[in-house]
Amino acid sequence: MRALRWSFGGVFLVAVPWIVAAVAPGQQRYILHVLIFTALYGALALSYDLVVGHVGSLSLAHPAFFGIGAYTAALLGTEARWPFAAALPAGIAAAGLMALAVGVPMFRLTEHSFAMGTLGFALVTQIVATNWVEFTRGPLCVTGIPKPELGPLRIVTLPAFYWMGLTAVGLVGLLYHGLTTARLGRAFHAVRDNEMLASAASIHPLKYRMLAFVIGGAVAGGVGTLFASYVGVLCPTELAVSLSVNLLVMLFLGGVGSLRGVVVGAVAFTALPEILRMAPTWRMVIYGLLLLLIVIRAPDGLEGVIRRRSAAWRQPSGG
Amino acid sequence: MALFETRGLTKRFLGVTAVDAVDLRIEAGELVSLIGPNGSGKTTLFNCVTGYLASDAGRVFFHDRDVTGVPAHRIARLGVGRTFQLVSVFPRLSALENLLTFLQQHQEEGVLARLVRAPRVRRYEAVAVERAMMLLDSVGLAARAAAPAGSLSYGQRKLLAFAAALMPDPELVLLDEPAAAVNPTMINQMKEQIRALHRRGKTVLLVEHNMDVVMDISQRVIVLDHGQKIAEGSPAAVRRDPKVIEAYFGR
Amino acid sequence: MGDLVEPLVHGLTLGSLYAMVATGLALMFGVVRLINFAHGEFYMLGGYAFWYAYGELGLPYPVAALVATAAMGAFGLVYERSVIRTILPRTWHVQLIATLATSITLTNLAILVFGTQPKEVPTTLSSAILEVGGVRMAWQRLVVLVAAVVIFAGLEWFVTRAKLGKAMRAMSQNREACAVVGVDVQRVALATFGLSAALAGGAAALVSPLFNIFPDVGALLTLKAFAAVIVGGLGFVKGAIAAAFLIGVAESLAAGYLSYAYKDAIAFVVMVAVLLVRPQGLFGRRIGI
Repeated sequence: MRALRWSFGGVFLVAVPWIVAAVAPGQQRYILHVLIFTALYGALALSYDLVVGHVGSLSLAHPAFFGIGAYTAALLGTEARWPFAAALPAGIAAAGLMALAVGVPMFRLTEHSFAMGTLGFALVTQIVATNWVEFTRGPLCVTGIPKPELGPLRIVTLPAFYWMGLTAVGLVGLLYHGLTTARLGRAFHAVRDNEMLASAASIHPLKYRMLAFVIGGAVAGGVGTLFASYVGVLCPTELAVSLSVNLLVMLFLGGVGSLRGVVVGAVAFTALPEILRMAPTWRMVIYGLLLLLIVIRAPDGLEGVIRRRSAAWRQPSGG
Repeated sequence: MALFETRGLTKRFLGVTAVDAVDLRIEAGELVSLIGPNGSGKTTLFNCVTGYLASDAGRVFFHDRDVTGVPAHRIARLGVGRTFQLVSVFPRLSALENLLTFLQQHQEEGVLARLVRAPRVRRYEAVAVERAMMLLDSVGLAARAAAPAGSLSYGQRKLLAFAAALMPDPELVLLDEPAAAVNPTMINQMKEQIRALHRRGKTVLLVEHNMDVVMDISQRVIVLDHGQKIAEGSPAAVRRDPKVIEAYFGR
Repeated sequence: MGDLVEPLVHGLTLGSLYAMVATGLALMFGVVRLINFAHGEFYMLGGYAFWYAYGELGLPYPVAALVATAAMGAFGLVYERSVIRTILPRTWHVQLIATLATSITLTNLAILVFGTQPKEVPTTLSSAILEVGGVRMAWQRLVVLVAAVVIFAGLEWFVTRAKLGKAMRAMSQNREACAVVGVDVQRVALATFGLSAALAGGAAALVSPLFNIFPDVGALLTLKAFAAVIVGGLGFVKGAIAAAFLIGVAESLAAGYLSYAYKDAIAFVVMVAVLLVRPQGLFGRRIGI
């Protein structure tokens, strides 16, 4: 039964470009653009949730890994004329290696300090991206990033990018599922919920934190690569710390530590403001307040609210 | 060759010597209690020998192997199980999953095999579940196997933590105040569990304040005061020792 | 030799600023064990308050400075009552995200209200040049340094002699014991936030004549102040002050001799370097393996 629902949903998602063309032909470009962004954000949010939701490390470095992957691939594509098939793994590897290098000193810090340290790293990465003009073009941005070419496949049209985004979020979702269930998931959650006890269970806390951090960072780098190839232009402003805030809103809005929750959060977060056409500064004010409210009132997000409601339904007498 | 030994173990905190050159020697199969007035350094000693605190001097040996300074997760892997003074479980996991978590590192597989859920991994999982259910049954928690550990009562969580520590079949079991803050029925249950453990050939070292429990089940008692070992011997001998009496009542 | 003096003076100015902001951060962490990500915004808002009082209302400098300090002190009290009080019993994740969210909200509100163009608030003392032994510096720099010394001396007196100050120090060492002996922990927490925010506001009033005021200034400042707290050793206010001056001077020297563009990265580099060699900070103590 579930398999049927899954395949039906899958077919529907793949067919979206045609559905949109049929239902709202004039808006097709805009809607597909929003959906592509939603897919990429969804993948990015999932990679972030591995670190924040499953191993409990509140890292603020994710924008840096996103940016490192994006810039690596963008520069290799424009300067060195690397094909996409090579630039993508390079972007992923660069971000992953950076995560490894940064993780070592950062994980010596605990809790708030770790957050602050990763924030510092993100800020410094943005500073470097903005100022190392000879290399990154700084505020002038990297332009003319080539569209992806995978053998005979050329991803140029919006539907093609949509399918690329869909594939990305699908693959990341599968990876996420594999990493957060069964024994590996238990190890992550043990470190998150009670590090001392995890050690008593022979689980090496640092090893698992680093694992989540590096994989999360590498995936973020991959998403950055896709992002850069879609937009075609890459500026240092993409690495802004506000991306962390956006991701946190997605996670906490939808439900930290839950695949469905994070995807819902990403959809709600990306689609909503597009629908509302909010100005960027007002958007951030609203997000800030929203995040504040959510994290105080409902830290497990929409998912938690739904779960609690359905639990109440099942036990109406309160027993 | 003693199973477990400390030589001159010392730990200082901001000018206070919490553990002062303590020599301990535990033979395989013994049931030993560590007692002493509040602040005598018992839990600090536990934390030093299980890898949670770095000692300032002295050495720790397990099976004649120097494990001084070895981090907690490695010591656990070597076959030392422990419980914590403040009862510690994974609240969001079920009772069963709590136990499974304690065994999985001893069934290591490559990351790829785990991701793909290889048949060998599935078999390990089945074996683990079987063992976990047996342990849960032995502490009377089999009915609550699927319940989240956070929803269990304090006493139940204590039993769960006890069962979890036994999951990887450790040779040496360190119990930090197993009889604290539980009702008399639970205390009796705990005593029985510890005796059963001992009968199975495990070595048990426990820290305890409850003198009835200590006198009732221990083969040997070690007394700490202000970080120093002041007495050691059979329960009856220690009870009569004037130094011990002074430590507890003399101030 | 003369070449070195000007960056050094500039470094001491920066150091004074970082030290004042770091002290507030360290005090808050000491008393309530919470890192306030929005701390830099206290400075930013203090700067705008000063700009309004001095630049728009035309109040004399000392009055405007006091207004900015008092305004931020009041803001700190409100912030403690509203946000901090709510998140204090929660996990550190919630605390962190809440203060981060506050930071983003305040920054963007500032953009909406004041615009992104930096505000310049030159005063008579920031334009007047003092010449000492061939070195030229704005009088304001001397004011900053002297004020910093006075403020730190005042703080030292406060934590050793004043009842509230002694309570703050006691709480940072042992919170539970304080509650037991009857220290009003809520009042002390409230006062700590008011004091920390006032320090940031005062710092803004002191250095705003020399530097620009803009909405994003808080983020980097929070980071550098935090770096100082870490380098000094979490929980050691004096360590944080020393580290803040170290970072200020290092940054100034780096700006002059290495690269101006990357000067902001210095604080971070220093922090990582110290962490790799001595994770407990320069003056901190090590526990655990």
